[in-house]
Amino acid sequence: MSKYQSLIGFAALAVILAIVPLTAANEYELRLFMLFLIYAVIALGLNILVGLAGLISLGQAGLFALGAYTAAILSTRLGFELVSSSIAAIIVASLFGALLAYPTVRVRGVYLAVITIAFGLIVENAAIEWQGLTGGPMGITGIPKPSVLGIPLSGYAYYGVLAVVLVLVVIVTHNLKRSKYGRAMLAVSQSETAARSLGINATGIRTLAFVISAATAGLAGVLYAFLNSYISPDIFTFSDSIRFLLMVIFGGAGTTTGTLIGAYILTYLPEYLQQLQYWQKFAYGLLLAVVMFVLPLGVFGTLSELWRKWRPVPRKIEAAGLSLEQALGIGNAGDRLPTELKAEGLTVRFGGLTALNDVSLRVQPAEIHALIGPNGAGKSTFVNTISGFYRPDSGRYELNGVDLTGQPAHLVARNGLARTFQNTELFGDMTVLENVMAGYQNRFSYNFFDACAHTPRFLRQEEQCRAAALGLLGFVDLTDYANEKARFLPFGLQRRLEIARALATSPRLLLLDEPAAGLTTHEIEELDKMIRRIAALGISVLLIEHHVELIMAIANQVTVLDYGVVIASAPPDVVQADSRVIEAYFGTHAVPAEVVS
Amino acid sequence: MQAALQYIFSGLAMGGIYALVALGFHIMWSSAKAVNFAHGDTLMLGAVLTIMGIDAGLPLPVAAAGSIAASCIFGVLLERFAVRPFAKSATSIGWMLTTIAVGIMLEALVTMEFGGFSRPLPSPGVSQAIFIFGAGVYPQELLIPVFAIAVMLGFGWMQRRTLIGRAMQAVAFDRNAAALMGINVNFVFALSFAIAATLGGAAGILIAPVTQASSTMGLIIGLKGFAVAIIGGITSAPGVVIAGLAFGVIEKFVEGYISTAAREIIGFSLTILVLLIFPQGLFGKREVFKV
Repeated sequence: MSKYQSLIGFAALAVILAIVPLTAANEYELRLFMLFLIYAVIALGLNILVGLAGLISLGQAGLFALGAYTAAILSTRLGFELVSSSIAAIIVASLFGALLAYPTVRVRGVYLAVITIAFGLIVENAAIEWQGLTGGPMGITGIPKPSVLGIPLSGYAYYGVLAVVLVLVVIVTHNLKRSKYGRAMLAVSQSETAARSLGINATGIRTLAFVISAATAGLAGVLYAFLNSYISPDIFTFSDSIRFLLMVIFGGAGTTTGTLIGAYILTYLPEYLQQLQYWQKFAYGLLLAVVMFVLPLGVFGTLSELWRKWRPVPRKIEAAGLSLEQALGIGNAGDRLPTELKAEGLTVRFGGLTALNDVSLRVQPAEIHALIGPNGAGKSTFVNTISGFYRPDSGRYELNGVDLTGQPAHLVARNGLARTFQNTELFGDMTVLENVMAGYQNRFSYNFFDACAHTPRFLRQEEQCRAAALGLLGFVDLTDYANEKARFLPFGLQRRLEIARALATSPRLLLLDEPAAGLTTHEIEELDKMIRRIAALGISVLLIEHHVELIMAIANQVTVLDYGVVIASAPPDVVQADSRVIEAYFGTHAVPAEVVS
Repeated sequence: MQAALQYIFSGLAMGGIYALVALGFHIMWSSAKAVNFAHGDTLMLGAVLTIMGIDAGLPLPVAAAGSIAASCIFGVLLERFAVRPFAKSATSIGWMLTTIAVGIMLEALVTMEFGGFSRPLPSPGVSQAIFIFGAGVYPQELLIPVFAIAVMLGFGWMQRRTLIGRAMQAVAFDRNAAALMGINVNFVFALSFAIAATLGGAAGILIAPVTQASSTMGLIIGLKGFAVAIIGGITSAPGVVIAGLAFGVIEKFVEGYISTAAREIIGFSLTILVLLIFPQGLFGKREVFKV
C-alpha cells in the first residue's frame, strides 16, 4: 500500500501542476503560483535538514541569494543559460553549505542556527557593499529571459520548467527520506550516541543534510533570478529565512506533503498580510509560536497523526524474515574470520582519577567473555573506550589484528564491533523495524544516486535489509511489535531490540553492557539462550554483567576489574574461587576462610 | 598610535557588551543546555524601556532599574513558558523556535510602540569626553569593560562561595543527580535565565548612550554575543569575557582600517575558523559525555 501511496502522490502533484496554469485568471496570479513553486523547492530541501536531521537553519535566504546572485552575475556577464547557471549555483551553494555546516554541527546542533543567521546577514551585507560585483543596493537588472540551449522559455514554458523541477525535487527528497540516508539522519537526531555505535558518521550525515538544503536553496535562487529578471539585496532578508523555516514547521517537519502545504500557505499569506504593515512581522512570530504551542507536528503532521490513531497500522508484520544466519549475512560470506579482540595496557584518566590502569584483555574468537567487577571498577570505561567513545591515555586495542586505538566510534563499528547500552539508547520515534534497519546502514552498497532515484539496485537491497531486519526481530521475538514506535516498548523488550539492532551491523564482536539489568528471571533465561546462539554463530561476545548466575552459566572466560586494574582473568570456576576476587567483592578477611579455620 | 588607542578604547566598550551578552549565554547554557535565542532582545528591552521611562518623566536611575527588572521578568517568563516545555530531551529543537518566535513578536511590538528609528539614551557618562594620550573616550565607554569583568568575577565568586552558586554548578554537571540531591532544578533554570536577562538589560542601558537604541539593535548584538560565546567556549565564563573584549577590539580595527562590511565578514569568518580548529572554543572544556 505505502509503496504506491508515494507514486500516487507524485502523480497527483503532477496533475495539479498541469491544471493550475489553465485556471490562472491573469499573469499576476500565474506569477504568484510560480513563486510558490520556487519557495517549495527551498522548503523541501530545508525539510531534510529540519524534519530529518533535527537541525535548524535561519540562513536559507542567504543561500537563496547566493544562488540568485550567481545566476545573475554569470548570465549578465558571461552569458550563462538556465542549466549552466543552475549547476554553477548548486555547486557554489553546496560548497558554502559544507563550509558552514562541517565545523559547526560536529560540536553542537544549536550552533548551526546561530552560524546560519550570521551567514544570512553577511550575504545581505556583502550584496549591498560589494558594488562592483553585485550592483550594491540597486541590485542587478537586465537578467536575460531564461533559455535552454538557445531556445527561449516564454511565460508558460518557464512555468513548465519550474513545475518539472518541483516534481523532481519532490521525488528526490521524498525518496531520500525513505533510504539509508534518511534513516541515518533521523537516527542521528534521535540518539547520536546510538547512531555512531552503528557506524553512522554523525558529522558527515548532518553536513550532508545541510548541503542538500543549501543546494536546493541555491537552485531556487537561480529560478527566482530568471523569473524576476531583477534582483536586489532587500529580497533576501532575515525575515525571509524565518518564512522558509516556518513553511516547514507549519506544514509538518519531516513530511513532504506538509512541507508543500506550508510553502503554499506562506507564499500567499504575505499577500494578505501586506495591509498589516508592521504587524506582518509580528504575524510571522505569532504563527510560529502558535504552531509550536498548539500543533507542534504541524498542520499535516497533526492530521496524519490523528488518522493513524483512527486507523492504526497493525503493530505486527506478518511477513517472514530471513533466518538468523542469512540475516547476519553469514551464509553468503562463507568462511567467516574468527575474531579476536586484544586490548593491551589500556589506561584512561579523567582528570586526577585513573579509571583504567594498564588493563589488558583478550577475547578469543567466538568466545563468551564476561567482564565483571564492583561498581566503579572501570567496566563501562573499558567498554566506552574500545567502542570509540573515549580516547585512551595510553595502550592500544585491536580487533582481528586491525588497530582501532583512538578511532572514532563509527569507524570502530564499521570494523565489526557492535554494542548495546547500559541505559538503552534507542531511536525512540522510529519504529522497531526501522531501528533494526538503521543498524543495517553500512551493509548497503547503493549510493546517493540510487537513493534519490530508487533504482532497482536500491529496491533490491532495501528489500533484503527489510527481510534481514524482520529475521533479527524474529530472533529476539519482537515481530509482534515491528510497527510500534520504539519508545513505547516496555523496558525488557527495549533491551532485546538493542541486541537485534546491534546484530544488524553483522558484527564480529558483540559488546553487551549489562543486558540482564532490570530483566525478569524468565527474560534472563531467554537472554542466556540468545547469547549462546550468537556465540555459536562465530560472533565473539564481551558481556558486562552483574548477574553472577548468568555469567557462570554461559561465560568461557571471566575477567575481573577492580579500581581500574585487572585482578583475575580465568574460566568462571577458577575466578569464583579466587581470593582476590572475593576480597574485591566482600572486603578483606573473607568470611568463608575464617569459617574453615 | 592615537588612532590605535582610540580603536582599543571604543573596541573594549563594544567588546564589554558582547562579553555581557555572551556571559548570559554561558549562564543559560550551563544550567539548562538551552538558551534564549531572543537574548539580544532583553538588551533591546533594557535600552528602549529606559528611554520610554525617561520620556514619561522618570529620573534615569528609576527608569534604568525598572527596565532591568522588566528584562529580568521577560527572561524568567520566557524560560518558564517557551523553553522549559520544549527542552525535555537534549536533541529537541522546539525551544529555539519558540524563543525566536517570541523575539520576533517582541521586536515587532517595540517597533510599533517606539518607532522604527534609533534614539540616544541621555547619560551623564557621555556628557564629556576625556582624553587619554590624545584619544577621546567617554567615561561610559571605560565603564563597560570594567563592569563586564566585575560581573564575571562576581559570578565566579557566587559559583564557588554560595550555596545557590554551587547548586548551579551541580545542575550544569548532571541535572538528574542534582535533582536527586534535593536541588530544585527548575528553580536553577529560572534563576540562570533571570541572571542572564538582567545582564542583558543592563548591557542595553550601558551601550544605548554610546550607540543609540532601536527596536532592532538586539538581533546583531545578540548574534555577535553568541559568536563570542562560541569563540571563547560557551562552557567558560572567563573565556567568553576575554573573547568578547578581544572581538570588540578586532572589530574596531577592521572597521577603521578596512570597512564596515569587512568587519562583519571577518568577525564571522573568525568564528568559523575558531570552530574548525578549536571545536570547544578557545577556553572551553569538552562537556562530560556520558554513554
